[in-house]
Amino acid sequence: MTAARSGRNDENEPFVIYPARRVITVNPAFPFGEAVAVSGDRILGVGSTDELASWGKHRIDDCFANHVIMPGFIEAHCHVMSGGLWNSTYVGYFDRRDPQGLLWPGCTSIDDVLERLGKAAADMTDDSQTLLAWGLDPIYFPGERLVARHLDTVTGDRPTLILHASGHLATINSALMDRCGIDETATSPGVARGGDGLPNGELHEPAGMMLAGEAFADMMKANRSEQARWRYANEARNAGHTLLTDLGTTQLWDPDQLNNWKKVTSDPTYPARVMVAMSNLFGATADPAELAELCVKLKSEQTDKLRFGIVKLILDGSIQGFTARISWPHYYKPPPGHIGNGMWLTAPDQMADLVEPYHRAGLTVHCHCNGDEATEAFVEAVEQVLERYPRWDHRHTVQHCQLTTPDQYRRMAALGMCANIFSNHIYYWGDQHRDVTVGPERAARMDACGTALASGVSFSIHSDSPITPLGHLHTAWCAVNRVTASGEVLGPDERIGVPDALRAITIEAARQIKMDAEIGSIEAGKLADFAVLEDDPLSVDPMALRDIGVWGTVLGGVLQPAQISDA
Amino acid sequence: MNAHTIAVTVVGGYLGAGKTTLVNHVLRSSDERIAVIVNDFGEISIDEDLIVAADSDKLTLANGCICCTLADGFAAALMQIRSAGTLPERLLIEASGVADPTQIAAYGHTPGLRLDAVVVMADAEQVRRQANDRWVADTVRMQLTAADLLVVNKIDLLDDSREADDLCDWLAGLSPGAAVVRASRAAVPIDVLLGPRSASDAADTREPPTPGGAAASRWHVVEDLFESQTAVLDAPVPMPVIEALLADLPDGVARLKGLVQAVPAASADDSSGTDAADATACLVEAVGRRTSMTPHATDPTQPPPRWAVSLISHKGSLPPTWLARRLHEPK
Repeated sequence: MTAARSGRNDENEPFVIYPARRVITVNPAFPFGEAVAVSGDRILGVGSTDELASWGKHRIDDCFANHVIMPGFIEAHCHVMSGGLWNSTYVGYFDRRDPQGLLWPGCTSIDDVLERLGKAAADMTDDSQTLLAWGLDPIYFPGERLVARHLDTVTGDRPTLILHASGHLATINSALMDRCGIDETATSPGVARGGDGLPNGELHEPAGMMLAGEAFADMMKANRSEQARWRYANEARNAGHTLLTDLGTTQLWDPDQLNNWKKVTSDPTYPARVMVAMSNLFGATADPAELAELCVKLKSEQTDKLRFGIVKLILDGSIQGFTARISWPHYYKPPPGHIGNGMWLTAPDQMADLVEPYHRAGLTVHCHCNGDEATEAFVEAVEQVLERYPRWDHRHTVQHCQLTTPDQYRRMAALGMCANIFSNHIYYWGDQHRDVTVGPERAARMDACGTALASGVSFSIHSDSPITPLGHLHTAWCAVNRVTASGEVLGPDERIGVPDALRAITIEAARQIKMDAEIGSIEAGKLADFAVLEDDPLSVDPMALRDIGVWGTVLGGVLQPAQISDA
Repeated sequence: MNAHTIAVTVVGGYLGAGKTTLVNHVLRSSDERIAVIVNDFGEISIDEDLIVAADSDKLTLANGCICCTLADGFAAALMQIRSAGTLPERLLIEASGVADPTQIAAYGHTPGLRLDAVVVMADAEQVRRQANDRWVADTVRMQLTAADLLVVNKIDLLDDSREADDLCDWLAGLSPGAAVVRASRAAVPIDVLLGPRSASDAADTREPPTPGGAAASRWHVVEDLFESQTAVLDAPVPMPVIEALLADLPDGVARLKGLVQAVPAASADDSSGTDAADATACLVEAVGRRTSMTPHATDPTQPPPRWAVSLISHKGSLPPTWLARRLHEPK
């Protein structure tokens, strides 16, 4: 077990002192230091260089003398497909940096998307290969719709598939429609049709997307590769993260997927720790009691870099997809034909029975709740389970927590529950939430970090990468400024200060995955996991928070420089 | 039935309504080769005597087909089923308790598959409460609305037949067009669930099997609920007659299926009426409001099929010659 280990393997081995422009410890008892000392994979201490030197034989490394050192960022809600998707061409609306550090400018018009695809098609040498792309979100192109006939103009005979940002839709070109036999005789409701009544290349939901055959399957398969896992961690390191979660993408009962994680994380150069959640999101071979048992077993075998002990459940859909469960008055301006509310992905009546085996096994349950009705169902389930099996310090966490109401936050505080708030939504979809999905009032209190703080609920903030880009300086920027993509401040009263945002991306994130004894702050004895920044987040204009450069990370005492190329 | 397509039956309905019981009942009672897809093994409990072997990712069933999960998506499940040896004639998809059966039914439009029916189970004792539940009211109502065949299960738990009548009327109002059938322990006659075995079998006018003593209830509502009738067709039938039949089926009809030779309206005016050259062999089917008329490939090396249509209706709802009169004496 990690707790029994000492950072100093050899008393004669000198430890390293890293003087810095400033060390932000996120430890309220010792908030700042001039330097941090690292022995082996542990923090020996923080303070002045002289104080640290008094520990004994050391060497001083000045490489961070002009940098600001923070605890390594902890992303408590993201998915490994974030690494797999980069096998395909990015055509999203916003700028995004790939794991190699290359910046992909956002495609802000349909013409941009087509230009990007045309270039990608021209670069392909194998004629039999399908062009795969991802990240398209038609919500940003109101009024016009990208369809097959547009794609045909740049892709020609090469079969092409774009997976939308939502994951619920794909658009394919005529060549792929021909190959898959999708024509006017198609009967599936998942095949969308244009004004002429003919299939327009848009495939809806899994039943429609599966008609694209291997193209779609290939895209999903890429998420399970070793390369995807490496890219995942590389992207994290480039953004200052030292711990990632994989919240429900891995089927842990599948030995291949588990071994794949073991393999990459046992490589000493793998640049992140990963907490892989137990999940039965995509079907399971066992009941929850068996999965709980498996998770406990995995936890007993965990390593420094591969962690277990949290469970992912899911209750509802997404707000921008109009599938989140939102209490009355439900959606503001839903699309025509919408049934009025979102959908349950798990029956709320079933929740307590589902949580119980994990709760009894001592695990922490993280449940996806975008709408407030989903939060209500989860909070009630936790209440019921706690009545049956009282347990202190469970830290069951409401994930996304986007429309959680003040009364729900008060209940969560009373129950000892945590929140992981999807602050990035404010920027990426805040305008749409105000104008379309939930209307101005509820949009102003979405992703309510201010209320969470005032209610005494421990909260973190997240990107849900690949849904939005991984990068905690940005998620913190969103929580602090609440500025939407159009530049408006959405709900100024829910803004939090930079120090609270920095806690949310470090120690509070560690707390909800029960790793706060080991990581999340810079304190003697903890793992030497740092984010190394080019500027001081506590000194810059809060609006410049997301623009701070990231040198890279230190992971267990090992320097992990970011790889950024702006070629 | 087209030999190359697999019929798809979607089984939906809220938690506890009897979906798994129905799946077991179908596997036990039908002689079709049926494969099963379930949401996950955590929710299914196929009776042990129907299972030959169990792997981590699939069950091999006594009928030679397999039961697998949606763990890797529908495409993977379908591939698993197709590569498991015995190609099924039918695929039963058991939806999760909160799923929209309409969305699951969309899989029935995958090439090689043919959506037969959406069967939605309702728990007679619980469904009214569920349809007004603070959280799942809309989910339950959406499921009921999606039904072609709405099975009011556990009907024997109600106090009397008046309560059952009220409930079924209310459900019929919620799900207009669905055929509402009553059951205890999900024991719906197999021909009602899956349709008469085939059009040629239908011509044998065999009675739909009725549930045996195992489903005995406090009052006799489940047994002998249905009757069938068959119209044997000596001549082609004008297309408008078939269309009119399908468009306006009486409420008591649970299932209709048959093979007909359809001729355009014009040639039917000819009093001889037997110009087979103009005729198209068609499979006609109806379950609830879902009706279809699809061209039927006949094998020239085989004797011609028996042209006949049969229907199953609630006992006493139709005169025994209703179907024959509709097809023979169109007005």
